[in-house]
Amino acid sequence: MARSLLLSTAIAFAFFVVLVRLGELMLLDHQELSAKAASQYRREDHIEAGRGKIYDRRGRELAVSLDARSLYCDPAQVVSPRKVAMELSRAIDMGYPQVAARLAPDGKRHFVWIKRKLTEEQSDALKGIKLGPGLGFVDEPKRYYPEGALASQVLGYLNMDNQAQDGVEKEYAGTLTNKGGKVVVERDATGKILSQGVQLESKGDNIVLTIDDGLQYIAETALDEAMQKWKAKSASVIMMDPYTGGILAMASRPSYNPNDPGASPAGSRRDRAIMDVYEPGSVFKIVMGSAALEDGVVTPQTVFDCHGGRYTVGGRTFHDVEKNGLLTFEQIIQKSSNVGSIQVALKLGADRYYKYAKLFGFGHKTGVDLPSESGGYARKPHTDVALASMAIGYGVSVTPLQIVRAYSAVANGGYLVYPHVVSRITAPDGQVISSFNEQSKRVLRPETAAILKNIFSMVTQKGGTAEEAAVNGNAVCGKTGTARLFDPRTGRYSDKYASTFVGFVPARDPKIAMIVVFKAAKGAIYGGVVAGPVFSSIAEKAFAYLNVPRDDADQSNMVYLGKDEHGAVYTP
Amino acid sequence: MQIDRRHVHNFDWLMLGLVLLASFIGVLTIFSATRPLTGAGHHSTYYIKQLAWMVIGLIGMGVVVKIDYRQFGRFAWIFYAIGLILLVFVLGMGRMGMGAQRWISIGGISFQPSEIFRLAYIIVLARYLSFLKPPIGVRAFLKMLPLLALLPFGLLVKQPDLGTATTMGMVFLFLCIARGMSKKLVTALLIFGLVSGPFLFDIVWHGFLKGYQRDRIVAFMDPQVDPAGIGYNINQSKIAIGSGMLFGKGYLKGTQGPLRFLPENHTDFIFSGFAEEWGFAGCMALLLIYLAILLRALDTARQAKDDFGALLALGLTFMFAFYFFFNIGMAMGMLPVVGIPLPFMSYGGTAVFCNYIAVGLLINVRLRRFELFY
Repeated sequence: MARSLLLSTAIAFAFFVVLVRLGELMLLDHQELSAKAASQYRREDHIEAGRGKIYDRRGRELAVSLDARSLYCDPAQVVSPRKVAMELSRAIDMGYPQVAARLAPDGKRHFVWIKRKLTEEQSDALKGIKLGPGLGFVDEPKRYYPEGALASQVLGYLNMDNQAQDGVEKEYAGTLTNKGGKVVVERDATGKILSQGVQLESKGDNIVLTIDDGLQYIAETALDEAMQKWKAKSASVIMMDPYTGGILAMASRPSYNPNDPGASPAGSRRDRAIMDVYEPGSVFKIVMGSAALEDGVVTPQTVFDCHGGRYTVGGRTFHDVEKNGLLTFEQIIQKSSNVGSIQVALKLGADRYYKYAKLFGFGHKTGVDLPSESGGYARKPHTDVALASMAIGYGVSVTPLQIVRAYSAVANGGYLVYPHVVSRITAPDGQVISSFNEQSKRVLRPETAAILKNIFSMVTQKGGTAEEAAVNGNAVCGKTGTARLFDPRTGRYSDKYASTFVGFVPARDPKIAMIVVFKAAKGAIYGGVVAGPVFSSIAEKAFAYLNVPRDDADQSNMVYLGKDEHGAVYTP
Repeated sequence: MQIDRRHVHNFDWLMLGLVLLASFIGVLTIFSATRPLTGAGHHSTYYIKQLAWMVIGLIGMGVVVKIDYRQFGRFAWIFYAIGLILLVFVLGMGRMGMGAQRWISIGGISFQPSEIFRLAYIIVLARYLSFLKPPIGVRAFLKMLPLLALLPFGLLVKQPDLGTATTMGMVFLFLCIARGMSKKLVTALLIFGLVSGPFLFDIVWHGFLKGYQRDRIVAFMDPQVDPAGIGYNINQSKIAIGSGMLFGKGYLKGTQGPLRFLPENHTDFIFSGFAEEWGFAGCMALLLIYLAILLRALDTARQAKDDFGALLALGLTFMFAFYFFFNIGMAMGMLPVVGIPLPFMSYGGTAVFCNYIAVGLLINVRLRRFELFY
């Protein structure tokens, strides 16, 4: 009896222990354990969207995605690897040793790429071969740039894993793939997908650039020709709509083909037009000119004594290229007199001078919608020497984009614009999702802008520094700049020069603002000589392309026939 | 066939009802645990097979109840001999299953000899002890040790079927205690246990246990040692139980089983799947059913007419109790993972059949509690 009672008690006690443990697991540890349960079958998966296209401003395709297949193998499963390697190497034109090496089992890896993103021909060739076990395909979209190297630095490229590198591809990666993103996927222990959230056919949004394929081609061809001629270390050109800040063409040399980015050195992928800073030299005199006119310190006819091209400030002597005597203010800019410019700047003083450097946005990023832009360096000068240096474009560092932006302000009557390369984003069905919000900020009075415009037009006329930049039939406003390149390795100025020409045409109603920069050109150094002709060559072809009427059309009794946007023929 | 009216009256309907209840809960849980992953897909037939085995088991139970249990006592040694032969046989030609030789196939039907053996063992043990005059002395104990302990446990460990070996060992010990031990024997066993314990552990650990068995024990001590490997089952089982909460996720709403995170979810770890879907409340109800079964079985032992009947009922009670607690304890991470099914609920033909036969024996003993010996 007693024994039986003892046993009953023992069993009851055991049940009690079980109950306590159950309570602990199910009620106390509940949250932790059920979170674990959910986390092991519910996972957020990234679904890659079909990447959106990139168009130029007229709807021409600059970047598209193609369906491509990639060939992989599990070396452990491949039967008679030699024979397979032989056949594969013929089909996908890859060396036999390379293919054989990928097929060779190392006992560890069960997934080895043989060749990623096969071309169509390679895919077709593989269809003819019976692939044995251990070989398979994975669909991987391949980015293709129909224009090859054209605008490559603006567009950027995708690496093998379809991750955007550089350019619009990187800056707008979210937009181009935005329909992708996260999808909750339920999987079982073996990784099989059981269910997932709604997944529409996912396609990213498309991007329409301000870049014009035709203008880009014109700019790049001219740049290539000039590079051949001058054997420069690098070169950049930016063509911009001076009223909107929309970049029409932008290119740098050296360049690369985004369809095969690995074939070129990393330096060739650099978008120098917005990333490389340099001391601009005389093109920076726009700051001095604007400040002096805007603040009423000078009139265009104010005369300065240029002391035969030598002037000493704070113990440092500055020189002019030409030995000038008395020059008016407008002649100082036309002939790019350093001595004259320095005197005007000193008359203005550091405060008023620097105010305008800041107004034009020097020392800050322009905010262009591209990655890795540089802001340059422009600080308030604290000594007369510093002020004098800055007045002639030394002691500051700028990007070509900042310069062309400043000249655009003169071209458009005094507004600082915001440079950009994307004009609008459209949904896959073509609907416009968003457009670039064009803003501008007044920095100069219209009168000042008009006077400056007139002075800059004198630069390409007789007596100016850039007669070679003149465009047949259209008045060019511009400014040359020639500055020694600072060599960061030696810490001194080298004997190489940065040759710049920046300006806008036609003078009367500017259609384009443009900057051309060559660094370390061989055989000539002056901006007017090296960069000027490139400017005029591009501008001339651009005008033919854009059907821009010649300024002198009526004078030369020419009748201009053009077509407006709707195709109607008109005469100006 | 004649059925004695008294037998109908004295038949332990309560026991049968409780066992059937547990069995049907088991079938429902198997149905849920083995349901296809998504709406589509083939539903495995485990639950149908289990139902079929229940029918076979009920027929077997009926046959067992009809025969006076003392007849089994008379043939106890023959059963035992058959059981031992089966164990030897399984060592010789048993097919490998889950890292252990536990199965024999005859004519397309596979069965686990150790399941059958445990019945024969308990019958012979009850028979042998009923002839021993209590209390059991040291000499008597040593005399029964080779044939009734060392030989069968050695064969079981060799298979290796650690689960059956452990439970049967416990049944042996507890049944001896229940029969009564002399003070000398108790002292001797305690001293032996204390002195040889560490050595025994070493011998068992390095000599008897296979690698995976050692791993299981390590995993039990610290399941996080290797969550993807040896600790996997324990962790997954705890996760399943823990996500049940008070009222569970609801029937057919559990995820751990169908998503295949919890292996053996329809056999050894069936309790975890049940807990996930029915929650703490459901588990409490289930525990009450099992508690009732055990207490009823214990009561049968108490009321048995003779020593053999009492020892037989008690042995079966111990067997069910240890199976139940070991299984639940394993699912909750309180005991190391050894292959022990949950009686009545776990999927497994031989186990269902043998458990029903065991219940038949219990009913048998209770049924004949008033009969005179003649």
